[in-house]
Amino acid sequence: MLRYWQKRFRTGILTERPEFDARMKELRKRLKKGIAKHFAGSLAIRMVDSGSCNACEAECNALSNPYYDLERLGIRFVASPRHADVMLLSGVLTFNMLPHVLDAWEQIPEPKWCITLGDCPVMEAPFTRTFAIEAPAAEHLPVAHHIPGCPPSPDRIIEGLLEFLEKLD
Amino acid sequence: MENGPKRLIARYAVDRGEDFELITRFDDGTIRERVSKEDPRAASIMPRYPAAIWFERKIRDDFGIRFEGAFDQRPLLHHERWPRGLHPMRRDVDVHTVLELSDYRPYRYEAIGGDGVFEVAVGPIHAGIIEPGHFQFSQAGEDMLHQEVRHFYKYRGIEKMLEGKTLAEAAPVVARISGNESVAAQIALARIAEAAAGEEAGIGIAARRALLLESERLAHHWTDLGFIPNDAGFAAALAYASARAEEVRRWMAEWTGHRFAFDAIASKPRPWDPEEALRRIAAQREAIDWFEDWIVGIPSLWDRMDTTGILQRFDALRYGCVGVVARASGVALDVRAGEALYTDNGFAIQSEESGDVAARFKVRIAELRHSLELMERFVPLCTEEPFAFPEGGEGAFESFVESSLGELYLAVEMEEGKIRRFFFRDPSFINWQALHRMMPGNIIADFPLINKSCDLSYAGNDL
Ligand code: SF4
Repeated sequence: MLRYWQKRFRTGILTERPEFDARMKELRKRLKKGIAKHFAGSLAIRMVDSGSCNACEAECNALSNPYYDLERLGIRFVASPRHADVMLLSGVLTFNMLPHVLDAWEQIPEPKWCITLGDCPVMEAPFTRTFAIEAPAAEHLPVAHHIPGCPPSPDRIIEGLLEFLEKLD
Repeated sequence: MENGPKRLIARYAVDRGEDFELITRFDDGTIRERVSKEDPRAASIMPRYPAAIWFERKIRDDFGIRFEGAFDQRPLLHHERWPRGLHPMRRDVDVHTVLELSDYRPYRYEAIGGDGVFEVAVGPIHAGIIEPGHFQFSQAGEDMLHQEVRHFYKYRGIEKMLEGKTLAEAAPVVARISGNESVAAQIALARIAEAAAGEEAGIGIAARRALLLESERLAHHWTDLGFIPNDAGFAAALAYASARAEEVRRWMAEWTGHRFAFDAIASKPRPWDPEEALRRIAAQREAIDWFEDWIVGIPSLWDRMDTTGILQRFDALRYGCVGVVARASGVALDVRAGEALYTDNGFAIQSEESGDVAARFKVRIAELRHSLELMERFVPLCTEEPFAFPEGGEGAFESFVESSLGELYLAVEMEEGKIRRFFFRDPSFINWQALHRMMPGNIIADFPLINKSCDLSYAGNDL
């Protein structure tokens, strides 16, 4: 364990690309302010995969890696929809997931927002319609905001969340 | 067992108009049977090949073929409110059919009865950022007596979606069947195209593909090497390993324009700097050495991983397991061992014997290091030749690729340059079925750890 701490202090905070980091710093600042203003400093997100390819989930997980470290800004991915402010919905909304997605949405207390993540829920990913696909999500849920991309990269997700917060201003 | 049954790779059906054809792919060949449409029935092989259970249940849902002697006849893809009697892979069912919710038919979970035995239902939506699926546990207190995996919540109808498309049209969908094995799936499709055209990829193209395939493996193995300790309460490993995975994603983005290399196999290679690539690979080699050195010295972690979630070699063979799951149980199976590019560059199968979480963890460390060694050799071989899908194509073709999750099998039938039948067997389709064999003797709190150590795809499994 000692070796870990030695490395930890030698490494410091991870940076790699100065322009990228400067942009991230600015985004973080604005995000933190928006969350303080609209969500008392803590934004709880329940991520729901309604039939994704799993890359959208991978990018959300990447938000917690040391390069992005989203949790510092007061954004938490929560386990229970009852603790959530936002449902972040990825995937093409399959026939088999639809009832469960609607269940989860119902469990989120008001006020609540649904944000769609990635091209799938708006049917802009390369998938063509089949019997098993129920997207676009907006036909089933009141979608407040959309974050495009296939998948949106972690910095694009941060920007997308920021745009959502600015909508609330 | 060694000389026992062959390995079952896949079992699926094709609608031939007049009748159905049932195709069973073993490691030593393919068996084809005709099944009449009037009375669609076939003999089950599930008593002998346990992994046939999902294949046969899927065929029944897809085509309405019943299996005689099958001990499990429950629906698989068709959930509680699926319209009765609709078998969407039949050719007379339109891909755009709008499904009406039928009345609710409860699913009968496998459960063990007895005094004090209770069931725990988990899913389909799980805690955390994970794909949906359902796990049903039979518990005696903390101890798991049995666990059933129930999936196909993510069922998108991809096989039918791709019928009638050219390979080039199918390619962007194939790249997105399962994000964690996108490169592997893209390579599988490219090989189908080459087989259809009677060509073989040159060494330069093959090396570039292999470089991306190994990068994909690095990103996944790093992520797993972080999440497995994290599920045992050791979060520092996740911080370290996820940063390394991020570095891999960033170089994939530089090389291909996409962090997951979506659509990269069929697009023109970008100009790149091989020297820089070699420097990054060298840095990652140092990183994996450091990581291993650090992690072996944490006894409380190994206390959780050793002897947890054992898959016996016997079961790995019986189920025909693939990938790290098989190799950690002493089964030397890896598609790369049969590829000249790999064997010419010193490829060796990495395996362990103990079959527990620790073994799967160690195999991932060894494979990650080995991938880096191989990549060093592949870098100078890469050329910037573009690959394009040839037009036309007639006949049945198949390909195998060793994805980060294990052996991926793709079979495509072409008719006048269009896909007539697309069959994709994800490595996880096999490994999910063996998962329950790892549970008895373990407590439910270890389930996430065991599950993560197998790194299974839901999207690729459900299609
Ligand atoms: S939007 Fe793209 S990356 Fe996200 S789940 Fe859909 S196909 Fe995958």
